[in-house]
Amino acid sequence: MRRSLQSALLLGLSSLVAAVYKDEVGHIDFHHALVGVPQIETTFFHRPKKDEKASLLYTLSDVGVLGAVNPNTGALVWRQQVAPGVAGRGGHLRAPEGENWVAAAYGQQVQAWAALSGRSVWQTEFDGRVKDLEIMELTESARKDVLALFEEDGVTVLRRLHGALGTVVWEFREVSRDIPLQVSTSVSNVYIISLHGSPSSYSLKVTTLEPATGGRVDHWIVGTKGGVQPEDVMFVGANSAAPILAWTSSDLSTLNVHVLGPKSKQDFVYALPADTVSVDIHAPHLTQSQPHFLVHTRTATGNKAEVFHTNLKTGQITKAYELPLLPGLGAISTSSEGANVYFTRVTEDEVLVVSSESHSILARDSLSPEARVEAVHAVSEVIKKAGGKEFAIRSATVTTSQDWVLIRNGKVDWTRPEGLSGAVAAAWAEIPEAEDLAKVLAEEAHTNPWNAYVHRVTRHIHDLQYLPDYLATIPTRVIESITGGAVVVSKSEGLHRDSFGFNKIAIIATRRGRFYALDTGSHGEIVWAADVFPQAPGAAFDVKGLLVNDAEGTVTVRGSKGEYAVISVTDGRVLETQPGDESTAVSATAIVEREGGKSLLALGQDGRPVDGVSTERPIDQTIVVQEEDDIIKGVKFVSEGGEIVKKEVWQLQLLPGQKIANLAQRPAHDPIASIGRVLGDRSVNYKYLNPNTVVIAAIDSAASSLSVYLLDTVTGQMLTSQNYDGVDGDKDISCTLSENWYACAFFGQYTLNDGSDRDIKGYQIVVTDLYESPSPNDRGPLGDAETFSPLDPVDTPTGVPLPWVVSQSWIVSEPLTNLTVTQTRQGITSRQLLAYLPESHAILGITRHGIDPRRPVGRDPSAAEIEAEGLVRYTPAIFIDGRNLLTHERDIVGVRGIVTTPAIVESTSLLLAYGIDVFGSQIAPSGTFDILDKGFNKVTLLGTVLALTWGVVLLAPMVRRKQINRKWEAFM
Amino acid sequence: MNLFLLLLTATLAAAQTHLTLSISLPPKPNPFLLPSSTHATLSSLHKRLSAPLSAVNTFDFHNVSADSYLLDVHCPTDNFLPLRVDVGAGGEVKAWETYRGNEWGNKGEEVPVRSEGATRSLAVKAAGPKIFFMERAKFSVLSILKNPMILMGLVTMGIVFGMPYLMENMDPELRAEFEERQKESPMNAIMANAQGGQNPLGNFDMAAYLAGSGKKEGVKR
Repeated sequence: MRRSLQSALLLGLSSLVAAVYKDEVGHIDFHHALVGVPQIETTFFHRPKKDEKASLLYTLSDVGVLGAVNPNTGALVWRQQVAPGVAGRGGHLRAPEGENWVAAAYGQQVQAWAALSGRSVWQTEFDGRVKDLEIMELTESARKDVLALFEEDGVTVLRRLHGALGTVVWEFREVSRDIPLQVSTSVSNVYIISLHGSPSSYSLKVTTLEPATGGRVDHWIVGTKGGVQPEDVMFVGANSAAPILAWTSSDLSTLNVHVLGPKSKQDFVYALPADTVSVDIHAPHLTQSQPHFLVHTRTATGNKAEVFHTNLKTGQITKAYELPLLPGLGAISTSSEGANVYFTRVTEDEVLVVSSESHSILARDSLSPEARVEAVHAVSEVIKKAGGKEFAIRSATVTTSQDWVLIRNGKVDWTRPEGLSGAVAAAWAEIPEAEDLAKVLAEEAHTNPWNAYVHRVTRHIHDLQYLPDYLATIPTRVIESITGGAVVVSKSEGLHRDSFGFNKIAIIATRRGRFYALDTGSHGEIVWAADVFPQAPGAAFDVKGLLVNDAEGTVTVRGSKGEYAVISVTDGRVLETQPGDESTAVSATAIVEREGGKSLLALGQDGRPVDGVSTERPIDQTIVVQEEDDIIKGVKFVSEGGEIVKKEVWQLQLLPGQKIANLAQRPAHDPIASIGRVLGDRSVNYKYLNPNTVVIAAIDSAASSLSVYLLDTVTGQMLTSQNYDGVDGDKDISCTLSENWYACAFFGQYTLNDGSDRDIKGYQIVVTDLYESPSPNDRGPLGDAETFSPLDPVDTPTGVPLPWVVSQSWIVSEPLTNLTVTQTRQGITSRQLLAYLPESHAILGITRHGIDPRRPVGRDPSAAEIEAEGLVRYTPAIFIDGRNLLTHERDIVGVRGIVTTPAIVESTSLLLAYGIDVFGSQIAPSGTFDILDKGFNKVTLLGTVLALTWGVVLLAPMVRRKQINRKWEAFM
Repeated sequence: MNLFLLLLTATLAAAQTHLTLSISLPPKPNPFLLPSSTHATLSSLHKRLSAPLSAVNTFDFHNVSADSYLLDVHCPTDNFLPLRVDVGAGGEVKAWETYRGNEWGNKGEEVPVRSEGATRSLAVKAAGPKIFFMERAKFSVLSILKNPMILMGLVTMGIVFGMPYLMENMDPELRAEFEERQKESPMNAIMANAQGGQNPLGNFDMAAYLAGSGKKEGVKR
């Protein structure tokens, strides 16, 4: 207890410089709390409380997040990650009518969540994969149950789960080679729809079950043989009086509809328009609703809808009416109130509501200009206002720009930029300035003196036009600088740089192939969004390299399928683009430095550049290439006889069973302020500063052992290695490298090898320092050499100077992932280790002093050590204090990466975490020593000065009078 | 026989995997107010189980296999103490307090485990709310006034300015007595000396000094 107290105290002290003040929240940081782009089949309005009218908007998004959103404000009520990690599309979500829970299924799990609080009601896990989930609205008891359809290795399993407990009521198993597709229920039966036959000729099989016992009643085959493919089956209604099964022919020429039920065993065939692109069916999900459904067909240019009625007695389907063909995508949604069914159609310029009964328009809201969005799909809530015939309509629409927009009575209530979720890469960019003074001055320097003089004079005259504006701002600036306290970053609108370098652009690429730019100067607002590589359903865009060129104001991206694009940083214009194809595969990219600046070199599977263009000139740089998951190579491209040839300089083959868990490279911007470290006795330990190093974490999962290697990338020499036993390879292993130290975080469970036979279990972080020699004031074999080359060793002909290693490990209470180090302009500020806490949904900042391997073990540091090195006594545990969380109270979900960049002021580093959520902040690891912070009270300062002046003015005559009086008295 | 063995192992395995561990929360902090992202994890080598907070304020782990687990409760608002939970092959569960940074064998107090069918329940302890923000040092007049130097200065000022008034308002007899006593006191001698000497700089004749003539010479002449 005492130990943990000590460490708490220590981190409490270090948090003095790392913590966030409450008044800074929202000023220095921003957060986009996202759920992901909603999927049409798993999004709906639902009343979380039976007796209250207020409803929430529920969705299971395409990144595996189940969220409840307040439809009035667009704020998140709660969210849960139902899928591990950042998952793809899929999953099922249903809500029982009039109940206070929702049921979700993903992968192997079926879960029920309290609709209002987001607490778990129950969750179960089974073998196999969930294929469908449905609610049994009508059961023999008052409660509502869940039907979950699983596929287990060719076995179709349907389980009825108890709605309140999640226990299995009955289980239906069928060993057949059929592929289960969906489950449906009606008042009297449960239906399993599966694909029957061989992959070349599938037909649909409907199996009827007894709802109370799960016993088989009947089964029959529908559809012509060989006419159905799994993706053609597009709709299976459930819980309605007459659930339907609909599938299209594979060329989208006809739509077949089959009414589920014993009465009719014939199909209704409906011919689709010739140029149909997609078909959707909308039908109510309530037992008491009328058995009507709507077929929404989209052609290349427009969309139309037809409404059909099902006769409950005969099972006949008749066409009731149709909605005209309108241009655009259009979105249609169903809502039901009692027996009434309403169809809401969002067109390009209005929102219409029709009853399923007749084609007369019940309500029509013309859209305001900002609400004219291109809707992909929508869910709507239509409420008949008390008394009159008025309707209140609100539609939550997913647009082509991947925003989630709520349109209420024709106006936009809120917009959620859900397309920002699912980010796969991010980079920082400077705001390009139209008039860069440095550029202009350089230009002047290159011309002859007379021209330069003329140019300068005209420039100054030109600048005079800004003078009146500038003069006009002076009074407000003075007042603001007095009353404002902290430095006010200029409030002007739009993209602009600031003198501290806090305003930057964060470029984010998402798995959906979209790119976003966020402005940190305006609280992370989206500057632009561009759909650069639109992805087909089921495909995901993966970024292999993202490089920003600040001089030109562009960002270059390379995707895993060879996609290439150059995008303008200011406005998102795509300057160059090359779509990817399945045949090319980019395994990695390397940043190569040439005379023209940095460029991205894409390397294929074989380690050769994908496009020959970039190898015109030889690259004088060894590139580290990872092959498979157990080989690392150093590759050079040299010109031989006018041809560029790839040469392998070195190769590291890991031991059998080992796999690369993490490869940490030095950050691109890693300045070193001091080459040595002054110790308590005023001697100096010289840091081992080799810019050509990488850290490789190799895990042997079977043997549970982790090896951490430090490699010299020029020669491939292993500079140092560490081995840890009992490391869990299934959990995240993360490393980072900076200056003369590196850190790795992992889960370890092992027995100490010091003979004490003590077991250790928990998440750990190991920090390793590298010095040139073990003894202070000595550079070892390097002596006074200013430079050294690992290729021609100094002093000892047998070896290269190896670093002296000091290492120490700590136990932390939570896993740390995505380790990163802060970057500052000159590297004077002490560094801070950043890590994402996947359990706490937060980002932790640990100062280097807290994880210094030189912290004395088993003794208190001497006064000199505290003063020179800031050392504190070693404690094995690091207590994660809330004040060390840079995200403070915010809940950041699914971080996939953290990128940092220096600001202009030395004290501050900017951070951006991306993944599902996007979070950005400013960190001052050593405090904001070069800026006045908000705590600085200018009014007090001025007040004190005034009071002193007043005191002097008041007291001076008094003192003078007294002195004169005294002189007179002396003579008397 | 073989089939029977298979069946036996199958039932045994079933008995093992169906063990449910239910973790309950202490009454303080109010468990109904905890955010829904609160969850608990059981971790061991190659194992990680996670359970969300349920509507009845428990964390339910299903199908817990035999191992020695570290139980953590992750809550955005409050800290909870970690526990060591040992699950035996026969479904027996033992739990102790554990201390981070100490060896795994260093167990604290044993936590009682209730057994009910295949469910084992135990409770965790809270360790106080999380603090996220630093307090800014605020300027206040009181903090200045509390400074002992300022207090001393104020008292001295009170004497300097208050004394003459007091003296004036004093009874004449008392005043005489007071002055008398002041003259007698040894401190006064020093004070008088200092007074008599006036301000040493006050008497300093700058012009004479610069002219190189001493004071006494001037007097002689």
